[in-house]
Amino acid sequence: MDELGLVQEGGYLTLYFPCLEAAIVFRVRSRENRGFEVIDYGPLPIASGTSLPTYEGTVATAPADGVLPARSYTREAVSFPAPDWMRYMVFDQNDVWRLSRDDKDRIFHVRAFVHPPALRVEVRIPKGVPQYAFQRRRVTVGVDKVGIGATRGSVEAIHFPDIQTGYRFGNDAHLDLRTFVRFVYGEYVVEIPKSPEVVFDVLQRRIPSHWITLPVTILDEEVRRLLVDIYRFPVTPPEPPRLFKLYRADERDRAMRDYAEILRHVAV
Amino acid sequence: MRWLLTVRGEASPTGSGQSDDFKNLVSPDVHGTFDRLRLERGLKAKVWARRLEGTAGFRLLIQFSPDVTVATPTWNPIDSANLASAGSLELEKRRPVVVQFKTGAEGIKFSYSDATGAGRIAFVAEVEVTDEEEP
Repeated sequence: MDELGLVQEGGYLTLYFPCLEAAIVFRVRSRENRGFEVIDYGPLPIASGTSLPTYEGTVATAPADGVLPARSYTREAVSFPAPDWMRYMVFDQNDVWRLSRDDKDRIFHVRAFVHPPALRVEVRIPKGVPQYAFQRRRVTVGVDKVGIGATRGSVEAIHFPDIQTGYRFGNDAHLDLRTFVRFVYGEYVVEIPKSPEVVFDVLQRRIPSHWITLPVTILDEEVRRLLVDIYRFPVTPPEPPRLFKLYRADERDRAMRDYAEILRHVAV
Repeated sequence: MRWLLTVRGEASPTGSGQSDDFKNLVSPDVHGTFDRLRLERGLKAKVWARRLEGTAGFRLLIQFSPDVTVATPTWNPIDSANLASAGSLELEKRRPVVVQFKTGAEGIKFSYSDATGAGRIAFVAEVEVTDEEEP
């Protein structure tokens, strides 16, 4: 990791999927935006007049562009439209972070910093699926719940190809807050290491790696498509895709066999 | 998380011995005006710096209520500063006034009393909002 919290070229990134109790290990072959990792995006994309639910169960109206009214939150996850000058060049002008299916060797590693930092933040992968949960998903939480289910001020996210990640924001202060977002990001060219030994050593934490436990508590169809159709992790329906399980240190031989079998299939 | 919130209030008392709340507080981070600071439980407000300007006898009070949701909240002063002579006074680098929001119903407001009651009075407070320390 560098001083920005991004993975260096040649470093490893481990993405853990709680719903599968397994991980993907990426090696960052290249960082395409070295030296220009910051996007000062501007206010949250909340238009003046937008109706937003409140923690009290009422509805608030945004009094100006980029203002999150007192005690309100975004019901749906937000995407960040591309700035005007790049609108017709990016893959999806309504989501500056969206990658196409053809970008399968790319991911965006994004650290979003919101101001005021008291704002609550939640990530949804995919955009439309509530993923923050409590007690075996008996309870769904998120920015819409008071005192649980969100971080304040910043959040770390991964944007995969052909899957849309969204953000939700909440303002639990009794003030109409003017907002601002800064993104620190890495556009990584990634590969999955082809050696089962390397995968095992990364997952045993013998090889340093930046770990992110993704907020993916439900294996949504979009996530399944990403893992199976794009990354080509093996699957035998109705079983879920087989990613790299976290074996115990004394299960090395079993892990080697499992990882070698998976690595025969993966396509990145 | 640490958020430094700059709050400014201004008033123009018209008679001596007047006291009231600063009702139209402004901040660069806040759209419109507000009259109190109310945060969700788990957060802490630290009032670090106060700058007073105005006439001699201007007294700034920071008041706290454990519950602003009731019809008539009870307010208690938790800090004060006096302007002994006309001009300005900066109180910085002192230990902050700390309010822990335990229920989310608490509130802080800024009030004044003015012994002379002649002319404009104003204050600026630097309030740090944080959740980093143990409650």
